[in-house]
Amino acid sequence: MNKTMTTASLALALGAALTVAASPAFAADSAADKEKCYGVALKGKNDCKAGAGTSCAGTSKTDYQGNAWTLVPKGTCEKTVSSTSPTGKGQLAEFKEKKA
Amino acid sequence: MSAQRHFAEAVLAAEPLCPPGLMAWNGSDPARRFAVYRNNVMVSLIDALADSYPVTQDLVGEEFFRAMARLFVRTHPPRSPVLALYGAGLAEFIEGFAPAAVLPYLADVARLEMLRVQAWHAADAAPLGLADFAALLENAPALAATGFDLHPSLAVLRSAHAVVSLWAAHQAQDGTPDLTAVDPALPESALVLRIGIDVEIRRIPCATAQFILHLQQGLAFGAAAQFALDTEPAFDLPAVLGMLICGGAIINLCQPRREPA
Repeated sequence: MNKTMTTASLALALGAALTVAASPAFAADSAADKEKCYGVALKGKNDCKAGAGTSCAGTSKTDYQGNAWTLVPKGTCEKTVSSTSPTGKGQLAEFKEKKA
Repeated sequence: MSAQRHFAEAVLAAEPLCPPGLMAWNGSDPARRFAVYRNNVMVSLIDALADSYPVTQDLVGEEFFRAMARLFVRTHPPRSPVLALYGAGLAEFIEGFAPAAVLPYLADVARLEMLRVQAWHAADAAPLGLADFAALLENAPALAATGFDLHPSLAVLRSAHAVVSLWAAHQAQDGTPDLTAVDPALPESALVLRIGIDVEIRRIPCATAQFILHLQQGLAFGAAAQFALDTEPAFDLPAVLGMLICGGAIINLCQPRREPA
């Protein structure tokens, strides 16, 4: 609470930022040397790609049942620290063992 | 109720009940044909969610994710034909979804992933150039009362969990995230910004997140900077401005739309 943003300190900060922004290291990485390219949408993010949104995607999948809710999360989270776990880690692995 | 409405409800209903009045062109059983259609609608929407939320899916596993997505689709059918932006409410859904409660950070990871998708599809906007800022410096007394319009793709997420580290760990090229160094209970803030054609996600300090949010809400530069400095004495204003200017995040100067709280 002891520092105050004066007009001078704001101007100094902006001036310093501009100096950094104008340096070649940043300029080379700027958006200016890229162009927006249509038709190369991120995977799965366009509207008519085979996959998400096309009816053919559905036919080979099995129907999950409502009882899937007895499942517990699995996967990479097993390696993650967990505050709700008695051991602090590996709680999900324990759940998986119970289920097996 | 209209026939269309009957049909739409039957498509997403939990039980496969064929709506009345359906006929198949070749005389085959309409109930069977309808069941195929139902399955295709559901699976394609679940696939769309899996495409938009890859890290969320990684965190819980495919089976759990798809079962959860199925419930979400039933209660949150698409409101727009734009599939790319479907599923914006998944984070809120996860918060109320008891089986996911053991992963308290899951909702915020989903939130971050949707911000990334939205940033990808946000409008283009030409950023201010260095000359514009240099001109602003010429009139230093007006600086504090100036507001900044930020890029449409820019978003800030403040989380009580290590969302950026969790997300970043899942971007490993070889597909095996190293989460041993991540403590999900540490609060993190994320800056989401499309630079050129790439959406960047960066971890930013809390005061920086607050500063950018204040600018986005229309607070004047001076007031936003003062607020950040009061919260965090080490707030590095030149670095934050440098990051915003280099990323093309400031697109216009404006009149402040809000008074300091």
